Amino acid sequence: MSKKYCEKFNIPKHLQVPLGAVLPANKKENKGMITGNWRTVRPVIDHEACTLCLNCFLFCPDATWHLDEKEEKMVWNADYCKGCLICENECPVDCISAVNELEFKGGVVRLEKPF
Amino acid sequence: MSDVYEITIWARGVVQDMEGRHMTLIMASSADKDGKFVQAWDDYADLPDRVGVPLRKYVRISDEEIEMRYEYENKNPSLVVIMDDTIVKGLNILWGMDKGGVLVVNSKRSPDEILKFIPNKDLLSKIICVDAEEEFSMEGLDFMGSEGGVEVSAVGAGISAVLAGAACHGTDNLTIDSLVAVSANKEGAKAGYESAVVKDL
Amino acid sequence: MAKEMFLAGCSSAAYGAMLSRVEVISSYPIRPYTGIMMELSKLVANGELDAEFVHGEGEHAQVSIAYGASAAGARAYTGSSGVGVTYAMECYSPAAGGRLPCQMAIADRALDPPGDFGSEHTDVMSARDQGWIMGWAADPQEVLDNTIMYFKIGEDARVLLPQFCCQDGYFVSHIPGKVSIPDQKAVDEYLPPFNNPHPLDPTKPVSHGPQIFPDQGPAIDLQRAQAFIDTPKVIEEAVADFNKQFGRNYDPFLEEYMTDDAEFVFFLQGGHARTARFAVNHLREKGVKAGMVRLRFMRPFPTEAVAESLSKFKAVGTIETSTSYGGAMKGGNLIHEVRSALYDVPNPPPVTSFMAGLGGEVVSLEEFYSMAKVLTQAAKDGKVDQYVYWVNFDKV
Repeated sequence: MSKKYCEKFNIPKHLQVPLGAVLPANKKENKGMITGNWRTVRPVIDHEACTLCLNCFLFCPDATWHLDEKEEKMVWNADYCKGCLICENECPVDCISAVNELEFKGGVVRLEKPF
Repeated sequence: MSDVYEITIWARGVVQDMEGRHMTLIMASSADKDGKFVQAWDDYADLPDRVGVPLRKYVRISDEEIEMRYEYENKNPSLVVIMDDTIVKGLNILWGMDKGGVLVVNSKRSPDEILKFIPNKDLLSKIICVDAEEEFSMEGLDFMGSEGGVEVSAVGAGISAVLAGAACHGTDNLTIDSLVAVSANKEGAKAGYESAVVKDL
Repeated sequence: MAKEMFLAGCSSAAYGAMLSRVEVISSYPIRPYTGIMMELSKLVANGELDAEFVHGEGEHAQVSIAYGASAAGARAYTGSSGVGVTYAMECYSPAAGGRLPCQMAIADRALDPPGDFGSEHTDVMSARDQGWIMGWAADPQEVLDNTIMYFKIGEDARVLLPQFCCQDGYFVSHIPGKVSIPDQKAVDEYLPPFNNPHPLDPTKPVSHGPQIFPDQGPAIDLQRAQAFIDTPKVIEEAVADFNKQFGRNYDPFLEEYMTDDAEFVFFLQGGHARTARFAVNHLREKGVKAGMVRLRFMRPFPTEAVAESLSKFKAVGTIETSTSYGGAMKGGNLIHEVRSALYDVPNPPPVTSFMAGLGGEVVSLEEFYSMAKVLTQAAKDGKVDQYVYWVNFDKV
């Protein structure tokens, strides 16, 4: 918003919205929409049994699984996984299991408010 | 303006949307029965149609007419109810609470285990845990959303009555007799009141 | 016996429709009005209401279904919010021009951009010139009452016009209040079955919506305009009958609050009247002679009633809750109507407008106090410095 209007209309900092409400887009992760706290259970992978078939990567609706090519293992993104367990359902070798979130100490971004 | 007693209820999207809303309604109806001015409503900015999303539901109870009725959220809750214990991890569920508040959690776990996940637990004067699913099975209940509609029959048929019963230990604004009178699940409300694990802090 | 329930405006509208014995309902979801259809679908599924429930494939289809059903002689009910209301824009004039008195429940929602679902009256105000009866309720009880009353008004043989039965999204539609639900028998006595004078009937075929020659246009439009001239009298009768039948106390066109000795008034529509009443009370405790006038019908606009009421005061401030970008007063819509109504009054009070409650913002008591400051000064000076104040932003 142009400075002229902000001064003329006494607009406080948090209401100084961009022209046309156009916002810069996120290039990678959207830290404004953390969804890890939607989860009641989390998928836990057994790396020994995992065959790197990438089914979890393909089926995850939130792109929270990816392959670390150097380490040759699947990596899970705790910030956005909603705990839908599609990966557990799709894993052909049953190496993903669901564990209640409170069994773990951390792993969830703690937000002040839902949005 | 008189003091308004604020209650915030946290529930999970879709699976607990209806029960959460019912809890606000039975809490408000029971306080209304006790002659208070009340308000019960859902947070308007939340997304109740997404499975698992944390939802807020609110109750206001006052001795005088509530002037702040249109304010979107309870900014200063004195009582917070958590319908699913895993919510305590990812959110500051005591947001806006002054020192001396009360927390009610639906959990199999003990109060001490839950408190481990709450960094600002010094705000609490009391924590109440109740295993509502143990007292009342959710099987067979529907997941009907409302999008602003309000059910009028069988309000408080499920775990909401159990949790609201337990919450009666946390405030004088809710009385178990009135609560039992207005809930569809009368046994559940009584069981919640009796089986609640209350820990003063 | 009437029974009392905790209902939000959405459920209240649904109960109003059920008591009105609507025969065809068409739905398409958009927040916040969706609750009305969710409640109605439950009532139909439970067998409490015998009605045809049709899912439209969009709001355009929804309104088309409703006025089609009305053309066939059914009492039809539909609704929408925000961009849904504007998406159906094409269908409003045919319904009104065809004199098909279906009802559309509106729970207001701000238009895009940005994506916002707070209450703002701009959505349906954009359709105010299409020939629909239109007015706002201030609480869930009035939503139920208006739903029944609007059918009575719209279906009157002297009127035959469709109706927008509006309520503020969230403030009225989503916050439950105590609602007294009248007996079905009492409503049946008040509201007779709909009698369409020109129904679609295979035994007596008629054609709705034919092409006309340009020179026939004014005559068709004159009919619709004339209906609006006759409507105020029908509204007065319908409201008086309603008050008698259900023991309510509605003024047909204006709700006046603390106006007897008021120096200035807030003039508004809809749910913010609740906060305005508290603000007036508090201002009076401080010795400020404030009052409130709430408009119950935007269309037909009650010109005489408004002129008579507002000419008593020394200043008037309209609270807009809608926008008219680049309009005559550069603010909202209400001030245009109010100033026009006051034009022929000798020594009219100065009128200014306040842009508040846009995008669902809560018009707080503090905002009312700052408006009162402007109006106190205007009452003293006998003129206003500006025709539009952006509350919170303009320096007062």
